[in-house]
Amino acid sequence: MTPGDRAADGFADGEFRAARRPAPSTGQGTEATRRPAAAGSPAATPAETAGVAAAPSVPMVHLTIDGRPAAVPKGTTVWHAAQQLGIEIPVFCYHDRMPPIGACRMCFVEVEKMPKLATACTLEAGEDMVVRTSTDRVKQGQRGILEFLLVNHPLDCPICDKGGECPLQDNTLKFGPGASRFVETKRTYGKHVRMGPVLVLDRERCILCWRCVRFGEIIAGDDALKGFERGYHSQIATPFMEPVESKFIGNTIGICPVGALTSETYRFRSRPWDNHHARSVCPHCGCGCAATLDIRGNDLTRMRAREHPEINDIWLCDKGFFGYEFPGSADRLRTPLVRDGGRLRDATWDEALDLIGAALQAAAPEQIGVIGGASGTNEDAYLLTRLFRGVLGANSIDYRADTAFPQPAARAPWGLGQPISDVERADVIVLLGCDLTEEYPIVWLRVKKAVDGGAGLLIANPWTLEIARWARTAFTYRRGADAAVLAALIGESAPEDASAASGVEAAVLRDAAALLSGAKRPLVLAGRTALEQPEAAAVLARLAALRSSRPDATVGVLRGRGNAGGAQMVGVLPDTLAGYRPLDDASARARVEAVWGRSVPAAPGRTVRDMLAAAREGDLRLLYVVGADPATSYPAAGAWQAARARLGLLVVHEALLTQTAAEADVVLPTLTYSETAGTVGNLEGRVQRREQAVLGPGEARSDSAIFTALAARLHDPFAFSSWEDVSAEIAQLIPGWAEDARIAPPPITAPDDTAATRTAVPAWTAVRGAAGTTAGLALLTGVKLFDRTATSLRCPGTRALAGEAFVALHPEDAAHLAIADGDLCEVRSGRGTVRLAARIWPGLHPGHAYVPLGFEAAPVATLLDEREAAFVSVRAIAPATRQGR
Amino acid sequence: MPDLILTKHLGPDRASIDVYLATGGYQAAATALRQLTPDKVTELVEQSGLRGRGGAGFPTGRKWKLTPKREGETRYLVVNADEAEPGTFKDRTLLEGDPHAILEGALITAYANGVHHAYVYLRGEFFLGYERLSRALGEAYARGYFGANILGTGFDLELTIHRGAGAYICGEETALLESLEGRRAFPRQKPPYYPAVRGLYERPTVLNNAETMAHVPHVIAMGPEAYKAAGPPILYSVSGHVVRPGVKELPIGTPLRAIIFEHSGGLRPGRTLKAVYPGGSSSAILLPEHIDVPADFDSLQKIGTMLGSSAIIVMDDTTCIPALVARAVEFYRDESCGKCTPCREGTVWLSQIFERILAGDGRMEDLDLLDDVARNMTGTCFCLLGESVPPTLRASLKYFRDEYVHHIETGACDLAPAPLAVGAGEGRA
Repeated sequence: MTPGDRAADGFADGEFRAARRPAPSTGQGTEATRRPAAAGSPAATPAETAGVAAAPSVPMVHLTIDGRPAAVPKGTTVWHAAQQLGIEIPVFCYHDRMPPIGACRMCFVEVEKMPKLATACTLEAGEDMVVRTSTDRVKQGQRGILEFLLVNHPLDCPICDKGGECPLQDNTLKFGPGASRFVETKRTYGKHVRMGPVLVLDRERCILCWRCVRFGEIIAGDDALKGFERGYHSQIATPFMEPVESKFIGNTIGICPVGALTSETYRFRSRPWDNHHARSVCPHCGCGCAATLDIRGNDLTRMRAREHPEINDIWLCDKGFFGYEFPGSADRLRTPLVRDGGRLRDATWDEALDLIGAALQAAAPEQIGVIGGASGTNEDAYLLTRLFRGVLGANSIDYRADTAFPQPAARAPWGLGQPISDVERADVIVLLGCDLTEEYPIVWLRVKKAVDGGAGLLIANPWTLEIARWARTAFTYRRGADAAVLAALIGESAPEDASAASGVEAAVLRDAAALLSGAKRPLVLAGRTALEQPEAAAVLARLAALRSSRPDATVGVLRGRGNAGGAQMVGVLPDTLAGYRPLDDASARARVEAVWGRSVPAAPGRTVRDMLAAAREGDLRLLYVVGADPATSYPAAGAWQAARARLGLLVVHEALLTQTAAEADVVLPTLTYSETAGTVGNLEGRVQRREQAVLGPGEARSDSAIFTALAARLHDPFAFSSWEDVSAEIAQLIPGWAEDARIAPPPITAPDDTAATRTAVPAWTAVRGAAGTTAGLALLTGVKLFDRTATSLRCPGTRALAGEAFVALHPEDAAHLAIADGDLCEVRSGRGTVRLAARIWPGLHPGHAYVPLGFEAAPVATLLDEREAAFVSVRAIAPATRQGR
Repeated sequence: MPDLILTKHLGPDRASIDVYLATGGYQAAATALRQLTPDKVTELVEQSGLRGRGGAGFPTGRKWKLTPKREGETRYLVVNADEAEPGTFKDRTLLEGDPHAILEGALITAYANGVHHAYVYLRGEFFLGYERLSRALGEAYARGYFGANILGTGFDLELTIHRGAGAYICGEETALLESLEGRRAFPRQKPPYYPAVRGLYERPTVLNNAETMAHVPHVIAMGPEAYKAAGPPILYSVSGHVVRPGVKELPIGTPLRAIIFEHSGGLRPGRTLKAVYPGGSSSAILLPEHIDVPADFDSLQKIGTMLGSSAIIVMDDTTCIPALVARAVEFYRDESCGKCTPCREGTVWLSQIFERILAGDGRMEDLDLLDDVARNMTGTCFCLLGESVPPTLRASLKYFRDEYVHHIETGACDLAPAPLAVGAGEGRA
């Protein structure tokens, strides 16, 4: 391990990152941003705490450091000024994403006319300041600090994960004393405390730099780790050593300057210098966080954030940090499978492809449907359209496998029309039906920064979000009232009207509307909860109205997982071509036809819901599923099952035997995010390159390879020899297509169907029957970051983080139903029944039942209906048996 | 001896507002609120030469002037009654013996600074002080000296008593503010922002010591010239090997010799003076040859120590100096907040070395090691807590090296263990 390795890998250490950044940075000498109550107070701006270059209007100050002149914007710290000159000043506690704290005392410098050594990280550069960074006094001071840090450090470097990439090691080598004068007994603690399933704390190694504590206070806002005890007994912990509660704790491992915080999934797995690195992109939520995969042999040892200023900065959520290992699962599909006598058996690629090729050739284009395409690369998705739309003339392709709403789906593009980093610049942020930390955690970090900078956060959701304490206004409303609430927020209807429909007090709605109308740069983020429901068209109409009436407003639709953004970009949609161009645009079709040399059918294809309906009618015979699991994720299990029963052939591309794959006639084993190279998109339309990190198992192939093989079998071979070739062809169709370009999704437009866009107030009231019964609690479903899907369960870290499925009830409803926390309940809708433990949750709006998505033990899709809202009855069938939680 | 000013009426019944009013209580406040502008009050306090009694001796009037008075901006007054410096018990004496004096001073200070919410951060172990201060505050509220429209002047002031939870660091003014805001008591970085500019809840904050508050009514009542002519007065907390320890109200600058031998009854019979802390355990110890120095801020600073909290700890010839310093180091080790490296790690290391020396396992090289570790803590700590350790330690190595050597060479102490009254007078409620 050399310093160069570390500088190159984007590890989250301030000193190395800043060294690569040429622009002068300001390290504002205030800790204002860590105060949640600082609304309206003179807090540092996001730019200040981000350490980015100050605005050009800021006056410059001139100083000399080690005899070299420097000019920096006023407000810059001496540490950053030295950095700008390439002069290294060692730090432990300072991290350039947080304000300085001045605790470790490592960054001493000598300043003329100052009697004492000064800490460069907290000292603001002054005009004519004369700074020296390596005088004997400075060296003595730094040696003294390192000696203090080392006297009680265990020096167990040979078995420490951090050894080799450890700032304490590196700084000791460069600045430390050569020998120890310590003959006393070292401070000892019980070793490696497990702070929950993924974080391991070694208090002996800890040098109490406070970075992790401050990360939770300043960056994540979850206060996950805190300092306990005092003085030489000080230690990092959680109250009563409870498991740490965070969605971002992996970052503390990254910024820990010693081996005090380590990852349960990486411990003792590799020496840093044995890892090689691959540029990657997190495959999970749709944000597409830039990441680095570390690999030892063919083993994925860890995933870490890779700095991307506009997406994830230097952070990852824990789904990414601990959810990287499923490619190594022993359950991976290794050969094609073909149904034979009712069972799936191993087959050769030739047999499987021949079978599929013949079926595709035999089917009419309108009898073919394709679901998925959002789990591979952009090139995979593009070849999907090239094969089905170009070679076969089938337009029924749709990546939105887990959605039934809105219908019609057109004009409702998913995504954010701006870089994720621009979220920080909003002055009012509205979260409408968007459980941000569960669905798109990394976006929350930007929202948090905006809030710290004084932005108002407005949360409207059917249940209370965990980030509600950061909101200026947060309220819950009744299912289906999203459009009514939004209409009141944008001033389209009177708060009193929306109040009746939503169950929110008019005064609250009025204050919220005033907050939004007073904004200069409002950002409205509508999520799955607001849009995956029969009333979605009305919500879209309001969002479109807001966009057209408020040119200063940005509207984002936060939906879609994995590479949904890329699938949308390249046109894995029944009515859209590459570059978001409408299929009914003749010139767009002509352009595609020119590139492909094939005709493109003009009639739009079917959405997922319509494909399933057509299958049930016998009109769609062949369904081709690419890296999706509609059998569990389509929000109406009954609709899927009825469709599946009448399909002539179900083909599934999968890496693991999901429910859909288990029901397939042909299963083709595919490669995962770590095993293919190419580009992927994200919810802001960014094109990022991903490298192959490891080899796939057995005979698994990439989607691209499979589509290419099928094209050849259909006597229309593709002439691509690499993903770069495919990408080059995409560039012919999408202007501006390039690595790191952002092909922003088009804005929402009002649905054509005006009838559907009325703020139809859903006609229901929570019906309570006689005591102990309900005639109908409105069913809400929501995403959980830590779920129990096929991939989550095959990563030891995320599997351990996932809780059990539950049905949440408001205390009033639970009391009425005589249900206690933990009771096993039967949840019944008109469509089906599931059994779940009850969780009493005051954060839920009364009259509702909430069941999380993504838990195999809670197939919530069996309760749902693809055309109308679901209502459930809940009754206790067995008392709680588990001890505690 | 001039008339007592601050301690004239000390007594167990002084929490009663009637008792306080009977000796002219709240008349200074009435004068200030009814007849003087806030700026005039500040001016009088500045003219009086009143300097903060918390330890740093910053001129009080100037501190008030440094607090920006922007229209419409909330300002706070925080009274530091977290008295915990070893050997210091003057604030406790006032809190228990004349609590209204502190409250009246806070009222006048709040008026002078346009403050409408004041806090008293009270040391948690001051049980009796809390009882009496609370009672006094309750009665003062009931008589209209606190709350809305005080004395019909239109001036409003709420005062909240906040009890600490047993941390010396909370006496450090910025750590106090963190604690008051509900956070772990870590001192804040300053510069660039001092509490006067950005203090409690990031608002301009006047932070004054409890004794300082008690002076303010007298400045107003006597006028700055008469107050100055009366000393000005200061409370010395005298403890240790003297016949009559206690709080001594004397004109500032009374020589240590007079404080010890005239006002505190001198040493026990047959004993000789060995060393003196002039300003609490954070000040460097002095030798008998130094005690003619006037005990004031400037004179003591000139000879390398400080007046600090004016706590004079007297040690006679029964005192084992290495044991004394070891005890002081232990105190700072236990009270270090843990924020910065040199204080957190240096105090415990020093303490371990002392333990070893006192247990008879000392090595000659430990003398240099002690000095060097102390040197590495000097000027390197985040706040003054850690910086308090080296002065006496290094002074003791210089003045009493032979005692250390004796411990190391013989592994024993020739002096009878003499319990030293460090912090004498504390903790008894």
